[in-house]
Amino acid sequence: MDFKLPENTTMIADTAKRYLKDNYSFDTYRKQLAEARHINDSRWHTMKELGWFGLPFPESLGGYQGSLLDVAMIVRELGASLCLDPYVDLIVAPGKLLEFIQTPASLALLANIIEGNGRIACALYDQHAGYQAEVPSPILSRNRLSGQKHLVPDGGCADHYLVTVRDANALAIVLLPASFCHIERYRALDGSRVASLTFDDVEIDDDMILSRGAGATDALSRLIDYLRALDCARMYGAVQALYQNTLEYAKTRKQFGVAIGSFQVIQHYLVDMFIDLQQLESMLLMVLVKADQQEESERARATSAAKIYYAEWAVRIAQMGIQIHGGVGVTEELNIGHYFRQITHGALSHGNGDFHVDRFISLATEHAA
Amino acid sequence: MNLEFSQEELVFQQEIRQWMTANVPEDIRCCIAAGAMPNKEMQQRWERLLGRQGWLVSTWPKQYGGPGWTATQRYIFDLERAKAGAPPTSPFGVAMVGPVLYTFASAEQKDRWLPGITSGETLWCQGYSEPNAGSDLASLKTRAERQGDHYLINGQKIWTTQAHWADMMFCLVRTDTTAKAQKGISFLLIDMKTPGIEVRPIYSIDGHHHLNEVYFTDVKVPVENLVGQEGMGWTIAKFLLTHERTTIAGVADLHYEIGRLKRAMRETPGYPLGGNAARRIAMLEIELMALEYTNFRTVAGTDEGRPFGPESSGLKIKGTELQQRVSQAMVELGGLMSLPWDNEEAVGNLVFNRATRRYNFLRACTIYGGSNEIQKNVLAKMLLGL
Repeated sequence: MDFKLPENTTMIADTAKRYLKDNYSFDTYRKQLAEARHINDSRWHTMKELGWFGLPFPESLGGYQGSLLDVAMIVRELGASLCLDPYVDLIVAPGKLLEFIQTPASLALLANIIEGNGRIACALYDQHAGYQAEVPSPILSRNRLSGQKHLVPDGGCADHYLVTVRDANALAIVLLPASFCHIERYRALDGSRVASLTFDDVEIDDDMILSRGAGATDALSRLIDYLRALDCARMYGAVQALYQNTLEYAKTRKQFGVAIGSFQVIQHYLVDMFIDLQQLESMLLMVLVKADQQEESERARATSAAKIYYAEWAVRIAQMGIQIHGGVGVTEELNIGHYFRQITHGALSHGNGDFHVDRFISLATEHAA
Repeated sequence: MNLEFSQEELVFQQEIRQWMTANVPEDIRCCIAAGAMPNKEMQQRWERLLGRQGWLVSTWPKQYGGPGWTATQRYIFDLERAKAGAPPTSPFGVAMVGPVLYTFASAEQKDRWLPGITSGETLWCQGYSEPNAGSDLASLKTRAERQGDHYLINGQKIWTTQAHWADMMFCLVRTDTTAKAQKGISFLLIDMKTPGIEVRPIYSIDGHHHLNEVYFTDVKVPVENLVGQEGMGWTIAKFLLTHERTTIAGVADLHYEIGRLKRAMRETPGYPLGGNAARRIAMLEIELMALEYTNFRTVAGTDEGRPFGPESSGLKIKGTELQQRVSQAMVELGGLMSLPWDNEEAVGNLVFNRATRRYNFLRACTIYGGSNEIQKNVLAKMLLGL
């Protein structure tokens, strides 16, 4: 076994960390939070220059063949700096789905994304299907599509959507121009821009249907597991930053004439947070290796385990971070509460803890040590 | 990044597995599988078997009789040992006094005491805690007065696990009552057959006798049994706290216990609990997965030459908490089957019944070896700078 990050991965992580430290402060975040469109042209351009757009994708398709581990290093740093730039929503998620669909049409769209010309978002969930993304509610029948999608993360500016729909009893993935939908935009818990899409009896050409049946189901399942691992990476970045800030605060905040970190109860809270953070890091490394494979059973088991663990323990650390900060921890002015919201959001995205416990049990096989 | 064992490690694992299959005595395997504790004869028979194989002191350097394994190999060995249904090694000789001796003792002392540990012949116990020195160990009072060629010991130790089995005790004693608390403590080896030693049993809430009180009245201990110099006892005790223990989290035995729980539920006709029990077991398996990967990282780090630091306190805390949670789940999921106390076979599957005793026993694991609160104090100071 070897838990050392490859040199290349470390370089990606260092670059992302430095770039965001220099270019994305808490003030930048708070300004972006109020904006309706989350692409910042200058940073978006730099991210492309840094090679982030091509990183997740195979060389044969014009990408840089980065592993999930590589991509996760960027997402971890985005989480640590609360960055709202829709890198995952408009590059990684649609790109990976198009890569997994693997048809000439989908790969041409992917090439566009890598070039930085696509504004495509994934519309995977609706309120009726809930987390059961493989059985979406919108119905495609004789080339007419009706239905709704909710919480579509699109940075407030997608021009196309990859929409999962039901076609007879099969899953289909349709590329829908924004002009075909009624779009209602709002902000989600983590500050990201999301949309609800309504389409009422719109006409779908055959070439808009990118995938159907087993191929679509497999591509969707791989994508969502990939995104689950990235949820963990983002939460890890956030929870680690929150922990560091809390430790620093405990050393400087004085009450009763001494730093609150001198009180044993605060020390033990912080030690608990430290130990749980170590365990979260272990689970992150585990899932980043295991979610990056086509074989489903081990991938699914690993992603559900990691999501359950994060839903339980990352959330616990975030709660403790607020508690140790006291009153200031519940204000908009401090970053702690914003990390808290981001972590809560991550714990509910692509399946909450309860959903994943059920999934984990249904996957259960005798675990050979 | 690679989460798999190497080809050589897999071959090693196969060798250990085959040996375990052929050599773990059937009566011991059955005893562990049913959730009972091995008695002295069983424990010592098993340790002698490992001793003959050269595997008992698996963590020791080669020059003192260790097999020269990497941390990963030691970890694999422990996994296979647990999987084969063999008990863990008693820690007092192998994991505690042994490393102290090869690190601090004179050549004569090493020659005299190490062979009995590597072979499993000498059984040791630990004389640390006293009635008024538990977590505040440095306040211990057991007195050792130098009188010519021997020390005269007077005082009392308590919570001494396996003192009634032991041939020898390693003991913290006060040799200087005038020095600052920590400075007046020395590390002494005491033959349990010496006149003036009285061992009295303490029965713990699992109904069994593991613990003892040990009384010393004018006990004469030769000065050559002092390890290091007078006043070095505290340094030695601290060394043991951070001494490398790749198996401190108990991952191997946790796998075995969760497996036993699932098997018992499957094999109990008409087992009454459904969905919620499955959820509970799933949560335990996920906790174990997190602990195991954290443990793997420490093991891999050790093999890369990073010292085993205070992080081991984190493994101890998480590991012992999980041991308690697993045993609690076993008792609670046993329901009525867990309730008979002195008739194991009265209701249903005796695995659940034995689990009740184990659950009671394991309340101690967050207390012994430095209570989890003490571990947290250490971590706050050493790692977090608080």
